[in-house]
Amino acid sequence: MNINYLAATMVLALTGAFLPVINRLFRISGIQGALISSIGYVVSLFLVLISDKGKHVLEVFYTTDPVSILLGALILIASWMVMLVIYWITEKDKFVNELISALMISTAGALLLISANNFVSLAIAMELMTMPTYLMVLFAFDDKSFEAGVKYFFNGALAVGFMLFGISLLYGMTGSFEFSALVKNLFIDPLVALAAVFIFAGFGFKITAFPFHFWGPDVYDGTCPGVAALLTGISKSAAFIGLMRVVYEAIPVIAGHFTLILAIIAALTMTVGNLLALAQRRVSRILAYSSVAHAGYTLVAFAALSVPLSVTGIIYHSVAYVFMKTAAFLCFAVFLFVWGARTMDDYKGLGRREPLLAALFLIFLLSLAGVPPMAGFISKVFVFTAAVDAGMTWLALVGLLNSAFSVAYYIWIAKQMYLEEPTLEKPINDSPNKNWILLPLAVMAILLIVFGIWVNPVVDASAVYAAKVGF
Amino acid sequence: MVLLSMILLPVLVAPFAWIGEKVNRDIPKYLSLAVGVFLAFCTAYLIAKYPGNGFAFHEFYQIYPPFDFNLHLAADGISLVLLGIVAFLAITVTLSSWHVERPGAYFFLILIFLGPMVGVFVSLNLLWFFIFWEFTLVPMFFHIGIWGAENRIYAAMKFFIYTHLASVFLLLGIIVLYLSTHTFEFEKLLNIHLDPSVAKLVWILMFIGFAVKMPVVPFHTWLPDAHVQAPSPISVFLAGLLLKMGAYGLLRWEIFLFPQTSKFFAPLMAFIAVLTIFYAGFRALAEDHIKRMVAYSSINHMGFVLLGLSALTAAGISAAVYEMVGHALVISLLFMIAGYIHHKTHTWYISELGGLMKKIPGLMTMFVIGVLAAVGLPGTAGFVGELSVMLAAFDYYGWVMVIVPLASALGAGFFMWMLQRAVFGPLREEFKNLKSLTELPLIENIPLALYIGAFILVGVIPAVVFNLYNPVVNAFSQLFQ
Repeated sequence: MNINYLAATMVLALTGAFLPVINRLFRISGIQGALISSIGYVVSLFLVLISDKGKHVLEVFYTTDPVSILLGALILIASWMVMLVIYWITEKDKFVNELISALMISTAGALLLISANNFVSLAIAMELMTMPTYLMVLFAFDDKSFEAGVKYFFNGALAVGFMLFGISLLYGMTGSFEFSALVKNLFIDPLVALAAVFIFAGFGFKITAFPFHFWGPDVYDGTCPGVAALLTGISKSAAFIGLMRVVYEAIPVIAGHFTLILAIIAALTMTVGNLLALAQRRVSRILAYSSVAHAGYTLVAFAALSVPLSVTGIIYHSVAYVFMKTAAFLCFAVFLFVWGARTMDDYKGLGRREPLLAALFLIFLLSLAGVPPMAGFISKVFVFTAAVDAGMTWLALVGLLNSAFSVAYYIWIAKQMYLEEPTLEKPINDSPNKNWILLPLAVMAILLIVFGIWVNPVVDASAVYAAKVGF
Repeated sequence: MVLLSMILLPVLVAPFAWIGEKVNRDIPKYLSLAVGVFLAFCTAYLIAKYPGNGFAFHEFYQIYPPFDFNLHLAADGISLVLLGIVAFLAITVTLSSWHVERPGAYFFLILIFLGPMVGVFVSLNLLWFFIFWEFTLVPMFFHIGIWGAENRIYAAMKFFIYTHLASVFLLLGIIVLYLSTHTFEFEKLLNIHLDPSVAKLVWILMFIGFAVKMPVVPFHTWLPDAHVQAPSPISVFLAGLLLKMGAYGLLRWEIFLFPQTSKFFAPLMAFIAVLTIFYAGFRALAEDHIKRMVAYSSINHMGFVLLGLSALTAAGISAAVYEMVGHALVISLLFMIAGYIHHKTHTWYISELGGLMKKIPGLMTMFVIGVLAAVGLPGTAGFVGELSVMLAAFDYYGWVMVIVPLASALGAGFFMWMLQRAVFGPLREEFKNLKSLTELPLIENIPLALYIGAFILVGVIPAVVFNLYNPVVNAFSQLFQ
């Protein structure tokens, strides 16, 4: 691991850790808190961006390659925007600094997770990313958040249990935790397959893959939408990359035998996510099920793991996903805060009430739907190209049809916002500095369009990674 | 830089239309008109500079060469004809929308529609073609959904979901094609010999995408709803540009690219075309809703376009491109006037109209001219288009095509019957004192006069259009030998 990258995670985690202390001592206001955390984010972002230079430490546990630099930077930007929106929508809450503290520590965990190349560090990073979010989900937004918190905690504990069991099986057979050692020593054996299944199940909970997806929508719906943005966007994206490292670096021997199962899981995940999303009335649940469906699209790329394009597909989809999903939930959060809009009926006519915010929301929705020129389109092109390349044209067709049907509910929200007459008369929280909050969202929209056309950074990073794992 | 500026300028000007509305309500429409004139000048410049054959004005913007994901723009005769339609309709639609409500958002959407529209016709990179192609849906969705008639939301949703679903097949076709050739570039694809079975798969997948857009029976059901509910100027865009995208895509990316596979599927295309011509003709005959009738006659004409393309000869393709031009001009006029009739009489139904000629002779004279052109009166674009398509089809398929002139007679039938009921005859009682039943103001007459002038011009001197793209078509038709 590059020393700068390590410093970046340290800076972020320490800023987060000291934020409540500073608040205790000096009673900072929301804006001051946002400024202090922003400094942490900027320094950390700078350190991540220069982490292709400098000394290397802890090479056994973490690696710093173009993928971790790219995703690390993007996760930091997304998390930064989440921080700004959370400060803005919960200004009056006295525990907001603690919430941000947990957010920053969790983001530090995500940064470590995307660079872990050892099962020990992987488990630690995963826990570092998850533990603060248990706290955040419980952050009493209303009664439902208790249910969500408990559900999230037990599911998370189960996931870690599965994963640790799988890891211990692998250790028992090979005596090693390191990916680079495992890839040499592993052999095809039922026990190894079992271990792979357990590890995948652990990740399956995190990315809400089909049989493990039940907790997702309840939690995303039950908690504060700012936290949901972190869980669905950032944590999930980091988990995609973590899973990618496991699959390509540690257990490629056995993963190759799972392609059909992965393909079936991918097809089921997309279909279930999209069908259930169509049936929802609450916008947060639509976004939550659409995030299940997007886990399915990423799994399509995993199922195509025999071709190098699948790496590009996974990385590109994680890149697009971290922005569009996070930002979509943040838009929802702002609508919820300002207008109290939860259901589809509440969204009627909001395009006329909030033209700019609705336009940004529309960009994120269209990106999720896969309409060019947003990054969501080009990432789907890569994912499905990988599937066709790997000889799974049927899976690509299922995915594309899914993507076409998913347009129905994304465009339904657009229809409610722009084509219907308004139902909500007055905003419940009318903040004078409302336009400021559009800035972080606009940044994410612009990045989404830039990454939708300028494919070079992501594709170059994935090409380096593909070469590293032996394609 | 000319082609890129034709794509980028409308998109970059668009936000100013939105902001400008707050300053002055007139700013958006003048911006849109200015962009239309800009496009017209650029097209005129390109036509003047065009060497006469092959692709010209190459512009290459490198993005990611390993995947061939580069913005490669160029125009040939066929593109130039369609660019001419884009520029012409941009001006006329802006003039027709002169008094629209909420002009800021309206012209914002028109402008962000025009840029990608130009892109579709000049992109030589298949993936970029698809990006432009797909993006045009978004502004159209809002145009139909916000400014449309009573049932607009249903029509907008159906339009978006239906055509997006079709695009998915197109995208899958593009992916399969890319994986078998590793390029998106038109000129590289032209020289690659594809395995026949792969070519057939790609052909079918892409054909579904294009056929829905054209549209042909049985993929046409989105069109009557979208056209009827859309405001008339937007119907003009739908009929004049969006449908042309389908026909152009079929020509450029299927027929030119896979001549042998197209030859294999030619009877299928011809069958679908004849089916479309007859089905749409009979539906139009049965239709009482005047705009819906025009919509079906539009499908009927697109059937002729497909028939011309299916002949796979220089004559057939030339005729099809000519018919595209004629269709854009004639059907646009009819849509506008059908909209005005509803605006003035507050009814859509032919059975509730009658004797309009006595009250608004100016508008109705233009309507009659338009109908005669649609029927195929010599001296108008409709005549040259239909005749040349039929000749090409006879030439290629022989006597089977003797049924096609019957469809032409069918077209004459439903149009004349409609004229007799709605326009001529005694004036209905309730229209005698109707205040709204007056002639149009000058600004709204200009586009109508432009359409009529244009289709008479290309009808009397078809060479204006033919000469532009004939060498291109001739060059490509060598591939079918």
